[in-house]
Amino acid sequence: MTDTTPILQIRNLDVRFRVDRKHEPFRAVKGISFDVPTNTTVALVGESGSGKSVTAMSILKLLPENAIVSPESEILYAGKNLARATLADMQAIRGKEISVIFQEPMTSLNPVFPVGEQISEVLRTHMGLAPRSARERAVALLNEVGIPNPQLRVHSFPHELSGGQQQRVMIAMAIACEPKLLIADEPTTALDVTIQKQILDLIASLQEKHQMSVLFITHDLGVVGDIADHVVVMQGGEIKEKGLVHQIFHDPKDPYTKALLACRPRLDRRPVRLPVIEDFLRNETGPKLEERHRGTAEGDAVILEVKNLTKTFFLKEGFFGKRAVPAVKDVSFRLRKGKTLGLVGESGSGKTTVGLTLMRLHDATSGEVLFEGKNLLSLTDREMMAYRRRIQIIFQNPYASLNPRMTVGQILVEPMKIHGIGKDQRERVDHAFSLLKRVGLSEQSFYKYPHEFSGGQRQRIAIARCLTMKPDVLICDESVSALDVSVQAQVLNLLQDLQDEFGLSYIFISHDLAVVKYISDQVMVMNEGAVIEIADSDEIYLNPQQDYTRKLLSSIPKGLEHQAA
Amino acid sequence: MSAVLTENTPPRAPQESPGLWTLAWRRLLQDRVGMVALAVVILFIAMMLASFTGLIARDWSKESGVSYANPAFLAGQENLEAKAVAAGGAVSKAAPVDLSDVDPLAPRYKEWEERAAKIAVTETKRAETLAFGGDKWGRDVLLKVIKGSEVSIFVGLVAAVLATIIGTFLGAMAGYWGGKTNDFLEWFYNIFTSIPYILLILAFAAVFKKGLDTIIVILALTGWTGIYRLVRAEYIKHSAREYVKAAQAIGASHMSRMFIHILPNASHVILVQLSQHVVSFIKAEVILSFLGLGVPVDMVSWGTMLAEAQNELVIGKWWQLFAAGASMALLVTAFSLLTDSLRDALDPKLK
Amino acid sequence: MTAYVVRRLWQMIPTLAGVILLIFFLFNWVGGDPAQVLAGKISNPEQIANIRKQLGVDEPYWYQLWVFVKQVFTFDFGRSWSTNEEVSRILLTRVGPTLTIMVPVLIIETTLAVTFAIMVAYVRGTLTDRMIMIVCTTAMSISFLVYIIVFQWLFGFILGWFPVQGWSESFWKNLSTYAPLPILLAVAVGLAPQLRLYRSFFLEEINQDYVRTARAKGLPEKKVMMKHVLRNALIPILTNIGIYLPSVFVGSFLLEVFFSIPGLGREIITAVNRSDFPVIKAVTVYLAMLTMIINLLVDVMYKFVDPRVSFK
Repeated sequence: MTDTTPILQIRNLDVRFRVDRKHEPFRAVKGISFDVPTNTTVALVGESGSGKSVTAMSILKLLPENAIVSPESEILYAGKNLARATLADMQAIRGKEISVIFQEPMTSLNPVFPVGEQISEVLRTHMGLAPRSARERAVALLNEVGIPNPQLRVHSFPHELSGGQQQRVMIAMAIACEPKLLIADEPTTALDVTIQKQILDLIASLQEKHQMSVLFITHDLGVVGDIADHVVVMQGGEIKEKGLVHQIFHDPKDPYTKALLACRPRLDRRPVRLPVIEDFLRNETGPKLEERHRGTAEGDAVILEVKNLTKTFFLKEGFFGKRAVPAVKDVSFRLRKGKTLGLVGESGSGKTTVGLTLMRLHDATSGEVLFEGKNLLSLTDREMMAYRRRIQIIFQNPYASLNPRMTVGQILVEPMKIHGIGKDQRERVDHAFSLLKRVGLSEQSFYKYPHEFSGGQRQRIAIARCLTMKPDVLICDESVSALDVSVQAQVLNLLQDLQDEFGLSYIFISHDLAVVKYISDQVMVMNEGAVIEIADSDEIYLNPQQDYTRKLLSSIPKGLEHQAA
Repeated sequence: MSAVLTENTPPRAPQESPGLWTLAWRRLLQDRVGMVALAVVILFIAMMLASFTGLIARDWSKESGVSYANPAFLAGQENLEAKAVAAGGAVSKAAPVDLSDVDPLAPRYKEWEERAAKIAVTETKRAETLAFGGDKWGRDVLLKVIKGSEVSIFVGLVAAVLATIIGTFLGAMAGYWGGKTNDFLEWFYNIFTSIPYILLILAFAAVFKKGLDTIIVILALTGWTGIYRLVRAEYIKHSAREYVKAAQAIGASHMSRMFIHILPNASHVILVQLSQHVVSFIKAEVILSFLGLGVPVDMVSWGTMLAEAQNELVIGKWWQLFAAGASMALLVTAFSLLTDSLRDALDPKLK
Repeated sequence: MTAYVVRRLWQMIPTLAGVILLIFFLFNWVGGDPAQVLAGKISNPEQIANIRKQLGVDEPYWYQLWVFVKQVFTFDFGRSWSTNEEVSRILLTRVGPTLTIMVPVLIIETTLAVTFAIMVAYVRGTLTDRMIMIVCTTAMSISFLVYIIVFQWLFGFILGWFPVQGWSESFWKNLSTYAPLPILLAVAVGLAPQLRLYRSFFLEEINQDYVRTARAKGLPEKKVMMKHVLRNALIPILTNIGIYLPSVFVGSFLLEVFFSIPGLGREIITAVNRSDFPVIKAVTVYLAMLTMIINLLVDVMYKFVDPRVSFK
């Protein structure tokens, strides 16, 4: 940090979006100011709707067409105000001086051109390289970002690469012209945790090597601790706090920042319940919470036992051929009454398929699912009906799991009708009201449609729907993964409270190891359809037995723990 | 459900909570082009109903004017054809050819002529001009257009509804059940789509007897494929959605999942398709009737009017062509704009 | 690739069987006894007896079906019921005029529609864009019949730029004298809906993430459109041409009727009006086969347009 003038200064940035004629434009960014110093990494942190991505995109004028940047806004780069720059000026800067990588590498690359062409296009545009030398440079860049066989890979199309490799190509494209500033907009959110670690390491090493600044946009404070020097925390279009990463982590001033730091489950702690934002708004220091003990004992009653569960999908191939794709291979486990079994694994590990298969939303290929001594997989559809209500599931996507054309009331009453719960309609409606209250929603919600609720509220509705049937086992399939951390904490607390109250048993499926560690008594690690390891949750984190488990654990961003230590 | 709510349950939400349909309707209300288009479409349908029930244009076939009577706004123009026809008529009456030895009906001609003469006596004097002109037989073009729109719109609407029902039902089956059902229906679909659409219609038209019901059946039987394909895609998409999986998890039956859960969520696609098919079927009916493959000769549709108008243009009688062409263009434009607005208003991406 | 083509050809068999069954059902079952159909149209009882024999009306349905299948595969549909001309000859001689009109129409229309669509997509959301779209919607709403009647009257009768109708033996004379007006008409009518459709394809692509990436690279907007967007939009455009292509062979029957062009379209209309079943059956079966082949060719072409397509 020899030069003291920041590479980028943002002053009074104010962005609004036109919605329609009737409504006032929606104000997404409310006059914020911050600097990106030379040769440093600044993390812009916030939950969804905080305006962090809008801020990042407005730097290069890549906002959608309905965006209005107010005239007072200044984006100062190399003595120029980019907010006022012409399109031609911007085109000279984009990709050369300032470049971007995006969240979804798959859709961000053009599907019809080879990746080599997409990289050399930048070089031809900005450096005036001849096609041949641009191609050679592209190979060198692919090599630099760690793609094996770059000579061959320049000819590959994006769909022929894995998600991690696609993101590496995006990075190669971004650093091709040695930019002074790299904007990384949630570059690892769509990737598995082990790949995320590799990409973060790559960005960090490139930042150092090329002496560039990085503006890193993320919702994940854990990642921030690993990569950033400075942190800017945003909420609702405003900056809540900014400072050095060490200061923010150790001595946060703003209650929102404090809450954000506290509400994410951590590997080294397990409070009885997670602190939420409201706690910090009421009380500056936040609640003091005891640790909760978790684990299972041999004598605990078993409610559900899965034996040698196997699920194979068949894909049509060739003339009459079928190709077998094993999704779940010989999985066995026991779920103990009133306890939580966590299922972790990366995408494609078969963890979701286990959940869907054991409640017969998929047909199993072989194996047994014993519930109260009955093998659920061998029951007829009619016999199964009696057990349907006792094993329920909460899905990942809160926007897709509720029927958008039904009111919340209809959604809650339907299962009671099907299973004949409640004497009459009146009793069912009363029960629905009491459950809404239980999951923390107003009674008015009964009359509303799902689209009027936020993601966290919708997940509460989905939970209430399961509770109408008084289930014994609840499968949570990535149920909190799509939620912001602050909302995630609230839903996790709710699930915990319900377990304590009703003695529910959970199968908690997630890719997020910290969340699984927090909520589970026992953890089962899966990879490529098979069980890698199963043990009590503290045991597995402190003393992993398998290489894969160790690799998984070492990939978790340790920002919080490191910084806090 | 609200009926069973009594005082000890919380009161109904004071403000009616808007469902997706309500929201879509509100968006449509904001769309000025869409509202104008809707008004025009409603006007046409009202006209169709009025004509259907005989409130207006009941005596469209009355020969109330002279041949090719000028429109009222062209009253001053000379109408040569009317005079020629009148003159021609006189000539043919003056020199009847005696056909009695070749025509078995010849002896009865006289009787008929006498009867016709009695009727002719009661005939009122033919008007020189009509509101929007007359056709060759002196029928009022304006009334013909109204009556013609009745047939064209009726055919378009009914055929589109039928095609939509067929397409939706088969599409729902194929998309929801997949597997063998899907294979069979895809085979069926492939058969229909491997024959060029126009040819398919003509092949059907060749074997069926002419009539209003036939043309509706033909259009419906050949026009369901596009809707089938889209509805099938919707069902495949929605079957995999979590809310349908959740319905399965709570034990909802197949019928309930197909028609109570998924159908309302595919309904916006179906509605837009319905609207689009009304337009294309109205166009198709016009062409078929023009070719003489559509409505029977004793009825009038925009197509038969255009068929007559074809030769009138050469002798400068443009009003029948204009009236039929313009009223059809107006309705179709309005319907197309309404379809666009509907699509925008119903687009779930916007929510 | 060869394996793919072979498999696709293999899969055509059930579809073709279905087409044959459908046509058989229509013409032998619903259509019924040709003697009744033709009553009043052909007075020669000998000829009707001949037709009945040819169809095997009194034979069981399976035998009639067998006769039909044999006809399909021997390319021998006998003679036309009304003109007594050989059906195969009718088909071969009528294709030429139809293609003389439709091939230029396809080429001109597609070129113009793609060009205009990308221009309109470039100025999306502006007044120009909206005006063009309204004009297109209105233009699409006017019946093809009205266009033909008015154009024929205007350019043929009033201005005298083109002959009102007619056809000759010489290809060049046809193309230079008789074809231009029908081609002009078909293009004028077909342009609006295609322009609208292709514009929507371009707009769909413009909203994709990779376009944002292309802009983030600093490419000029023209290059973004002409390279990245155009290349991707070609995929749905190809699909659309594939759907449209088979009907090129049917031709625009309205144009052929109005301009007295001795093409397939007019032949079909005549056949329908005269209940000339052999002609309709033959045209339908062979065009269905042709459609299947064209679909296969289009699918093979995808390989060259869309790298994500693989022949497995």
